[in-house]
Amino acid sequence: MNQAVIQLMVSGALMGLVYALVAYGFQLTYATSKSINFGQGELVMLSAFFSLTLTNLGLPYYLMIPGGLLFGVVAGLFVERAGVRLALEQKSEGWILMTIILGLFGVSAAENIWGRDDRPFPTPIPTEPMQFFDISITPLEISVAIGVVMIMVIIELFKRKTLLGKAFEAVSADRDAAELMGISATRTIMLSYGLSGLVAALAGILVSPITTVGPTMASALVLKAFSVAVVAGLESGFGVVIVGLFLGSLESLTSFYVGSGWREAPGLVLLILALAVRPTGIFGKAVIRKV
Amino acid sequence: MLVVNDLYAGYGMSEVLMGTSLAVKRGTVVALIGPNGAGKTTTMRTISGGINPTRGEILLDGKPVQGLEPSQIARLGLAHAPEGRKVFGPLSVEDNLLLGAFTRLPHFFGFQAKAAGDLDKIYELFPRLKERRRQTSGTLSGGEQQMLAIGRALMARPKVVLLDEPSMGLAPVIVDEVFDIIRRLKGSGITLLLVEQSAKRALEVADYAYVMERGRIAVEGVPQELQKNERVIAAYLGN
Ligand SMILES: Nc1ncnc2c1ncn2[C@@H]1O[C@H](COP(=O)(O)OP(=O)(O)OP(=O)(O)O)[C@@H](O)[C@H]1O
Ligand SMILES: [Mg+2]
Repeated sequence: MNQAVIQLMVSGALMGLVYALVAYGFQLTYATSKSINFGQGELVMLSAFFSLTLTNLGLPYYLMIPGGLLFGVVAGLFVERAGVRLALEQKSEGWILMTIILGLFGVSAAENIWGRDDRPFPTPIPTEPMQFFDISITPLEISVAIGVVMIMVIIELFKRKTLLGKAFEAVSADRDAAELMGISATRTIMLSYGLSGLVAALAGILVSPITTVGPTMASALVLKAFSVAVVAGLESGFGVVIVGLFLGSLESLTSFYVGSGWREAPGLVLLILALAVRPTGIFGKAVIRKV
Repeated sequence: MLVVNDLYAGYGMSEVLMGTSLAVKRGTVVALIGPNGAGKTTTMRTISGGINPTRGEILLDGKPVQGLEPSQIARLGLAHAPEGRKVFGPLSVEDNLLLGAFTRLPHFFGFQAKAAGDLDKIYELFPRLKERRRQTSGTLSGGEQQMLAIGRALMARPKVVLLDEPSMGLAPVIVDEVFDIIRRLKGSGITLLLVEQSAKRALEVADYAYVMERGRIAVEGVPQELQKNERVIAAYLGN
């Protein structure tokens, strides 16, 4: 492989990590409730706008981050309460439509509050490229990679090593039996939506300095996160990282060699292929059939 | 310790329980027997909060618990080992047991250390679970899963245990083992409501028994009496 190809793959892979993080947000709620927030992309966008506002209000970077993350958690909890809880209690799939609608609502809210234009997202992290073995990477890009990997490692440790994390899996395996152990399924599901909102917000904060912030960033991100989640499945955190890296590099190569207009193609092709090979989808039957 | 008064409950439009009453005194083993579809499982699910009764009262240690969430009732000291075991298949044996004590243990760190004593007791009762502590519980045999379901219920140090058909689908030797365990638990002073298909075995171990038919208690008494009751003999202890 020549060096230009490697360079393209590395920059693409970094974007792929962001797709993986958004897809990971799907996994978190799917794990406890077999439901996902179809407005996850809008949640990323809203959190990014909110964080931008905090920055514009003069909050330093290290205070803006917890503020933005808190917004994500609250928004995730709101989605659960407003769009998901009732449907799950009635064992219906109404959450699909509800989370889509909440997402659309989020887009119009963003357009009204912040406008339709894409805006730059300032960051104190340097953007001058550094050279590693002739590959140039910016510290900003490195911060994205570190952020994504760190949050996923922390959440995976929580799920595997703490009793509450094991309770997540118990609720997913058998909700009624978990209740008999004194585990409140409702609270566990709430918590998973809160965590899912947190990773969405982090994705927004990490990616915005690179891509800019705008109401359209939601749909672009969520489509790729979907491709990643459908291909990798909704169970394995490791899987979304691998598929995310792959899709990111593929995108970057496509847009360079085929044309930047084709940038979205690999994600779509991957999604179609995955669904064609496994028509029921790795999402489980109900979801794919209804969407 | 557990009192059920004039309970009515069912699924949607269909009433299953129609005025069930029973009581389990502290430190006793009470059997609930009856034909398929009588409403034994429904009784247990209503007691543990899975079904909201339309009428009647459930007292756990004197406190009314009807209408509470199952997780709240569990926190008040009720453990229910449900019909069909319902172990957490993807989790290991030990994780299942730890989750049994969820209400008593710290939720983040240090739960293993705090549960060590209880785990030892369970493993002493069920040595086979100790051998398989790291195994995924979904891959256990039916008998082992039943042991795990019982162990998981005991981990909560409950005031009252509900045990629904522990012998279901098990080979006779394993059923013997399960009843040996129940006898040992009885010796250690457990308060237990036991639902069983095998009426004969249930009456052998129980201090008191209820016979349920079509959502009501048809006959009740100490096992020695029921074993002589002709109606009970004809229906449940035949041949
Ligand atoms: N989830 C349900 N939805 C609707 N009806 C149900 C449900 N579960 C049980 N029933 C009905 O309630 C009645 C009582 O069932 P239940 O399971 O309580 O009986 P049981 O005494 O435990 O029987 P078995 O000995 O077969 O376990 C039956 O007629 C059954 O068909
Ligand atoms: Mg039953």
